[in-house]
Amino acid sequence: MESPKRGQDLPPFVKSWTQFYWLLAGWLVFLILIFYLFTQYFE
Amino acid sequence: MSYIDWGVLIFTLIVIVTYGIYKSRGAKNIDGYLLGNRSLPWYSVCLSVMATQASAITFLSAPGLAYSSGMSFVQFYFGLPLAMIVLCVTFVPIFHRLKVYTAYEYLEQRFDLKTRALTAFLFLIQRGLSTGITIYAPSIILSTILDINTTYTTLVIGGIVVAYTVYGGTKAVSYTQMLQMSIIFCGLFAAGIMVVHLLPGDIGFGKAISIAGKMGRTNAIDFKFDWNNPYTVWSGLIGGFFLQLSYFGTDQSQVGRYLTGASVGQSRLGLLMNGLVKIPMQFLILLIGVLVFTFYQYNKPPVFFNSFELNKLEKSTYNPQLNQLKKDYEKAFQEKQIEVNKLNVALDRQDKPVIDQQRIALKQADEQTKSVRKKVTDLMLENDPHADINDNNYIFLSFVTRYLPKGLIGLLIAIIFLASMGSTASALNSLASTSVIDIYKRLINKDATEENYLKASRWSTVIWGLICIAMALYASKIGNLIEAVNILGSYIYGTILGVFLVAFYLKHVNGRAVFYAAILTEAIVCICGYQKVVAYLWLNLIGCLLVVLLSLLFQLLLKRKLNIEN
Repeated sequence: MESPKRGQDLPPFVKSWTQFYWLLAGWLVFLILIFYLFTQYFE
Repeated sequence: MSYIDWGVLIFTLIVIVTYGIYKSRGAKNIDGYLLGNRSLPWYSVCLSVMATQASAITFLSAPGLAYSSGMSFVQFYFGLPLAMIVLCVTFVPIFHRLKVYTAYEYLEQRFDLKTRALTAFLFLIQRGLSTGITIYAPSIILSTILDINTTYTTLVIGGIVVAYTVYGGTKAVSYTQMLQMSIIFCGLFAAGIMVVHLLPGDIGFGKAISIAGKMGRTNAIDFKFDWNNPYTVWSGLIGGFFLQLSYFGTDQSQVGRYLTGASVGQSRLGLLMNGLVKIPMQFLILLIGVLVFTFYQYNKPPVFFNSFELNKLEKSTYNPQLNQLKKDYEKAFQEKQIEVNKLNVALDRQDKPVIDQQRIALKQADEQTKSVRKKVTDLMLENDPHADINDNNYIFLSFVTRYLPKGLIGLLIAIIFLASMGSTASALNSLASTSVIDIYKRLINKDATEENYLKASRWSTVIWGLICIAMALYASKIGNLIEAVNILGSYIYGTILGVFLVAFYLKHVNGRAVFYAAILTEAIVCICGYQKVVAYLWLNLIGCLLVVLLSLLFQLLLKRKLNIEN
């Protein structure tokens, strides 16, 4: 495995680390919502 | 197991271990042996972090938990993404900047030697004990398949893992974990498809989940606040956040994984990706358990899933009573099946009153089978007071060996081995790092050569391996494995996290204040845990907050004392 360069650290779908943190927090909220709907629907 | 399964199992293990050893050859110093020369890319960090956390316990216990009590366990991981964010903002840049080998090295720079030694010591106790449990988990598999006591299988498996870790060092751990996770994902996906395929013709994926749901097994979310329930949204978000933050931020088995990252960015990216995929992965593992539950509504499950304990009872003088209970169980199962079929028809017709009626009838039928199972376990205890009466960890395994096709059984059993090897290898590597860097190099032999430290790292891995194997031999007497590991962590993680948070955010607090705060907190947490004052997840929060508050208080008292003396 080659050592990556520093400039390549951020993934292409975000512009900053802060944006990535918000994306992750949003993903968590989305999952909780989906699981809530799952619980309600199948129970 | 058939020859094909043995072939698949042995081939998979040999390929992965050989690949890891081949790729990791030539470690000439401790930087290479313990941190892989800090050169790995984000995807290696991500898979390594995931493989370290997802031990064999995850794949044995989680489907069993879903089968017996539903999917609420998924909430345990809700704090993880938030913990990843805090780690990336605070912990990762500091550890990288200071170029530390272990997390505890930083504490000496910030506080003093005794605080570093205390946290390292707490880590060694916690990780040493829990690694024993991690080794024990796959030994269950061999004991079930070969029908021999887990003591012998624990010795064999532990020995293989120790030998492989001693030779390979951290690079071997990372390289093998990458392959391991790929195989694990493929194997679980295949298992999920097979469970659905094995259901009766008119039961599709959606209806299988519906049936399990009506029997209370799809309870993924619980918004009720209950101090004594470890699996609610709030305990997962708050208690789970503190547990995950302390696990990833202060447990060397994880810190050592992301310190192998080539840069701060690569380590961050690995951790954040872990935050994205961990919860869905855990949800899917639990979903497999739910599907297995539905499968067993149409196929009679064994009266007890641990065949070793059941065989023991069959060979005892209690066999006539057991035979009677088996007949009762058969009858209870047939009655339940009638109710399940009625529910199936009602679901087809979308007949809500009948569905509600069947929900109640099925609950009663379920209680009936549980009552027979309880009588069987009571009989087991009468026969042998030391019998292992918790068969949660055997549920998924029993299904795999009885119903999956040849070849896939071998692959799924290989997954259990691989998962265990991955997390055990990381743990042994971290125990060796902490013992050598924080104790041997710092306190015993400060000016030795690189070669000497490398040798000490290998010997340390051997010694810790032997201790963990010894611990694994006692693990069979602890109920649910996954809970046992988490409970153990909760006793210690909160305190260590509190020390790190004081180090990062309360710059005016000194080493003396935080040291005494940590000792007092650990005593209080142990009392709270022993007395079962709250559910174990909350111990992380209590431990962490107590260290922070007591540190502030002690700092204030020490300052006053100093002022009076002056």
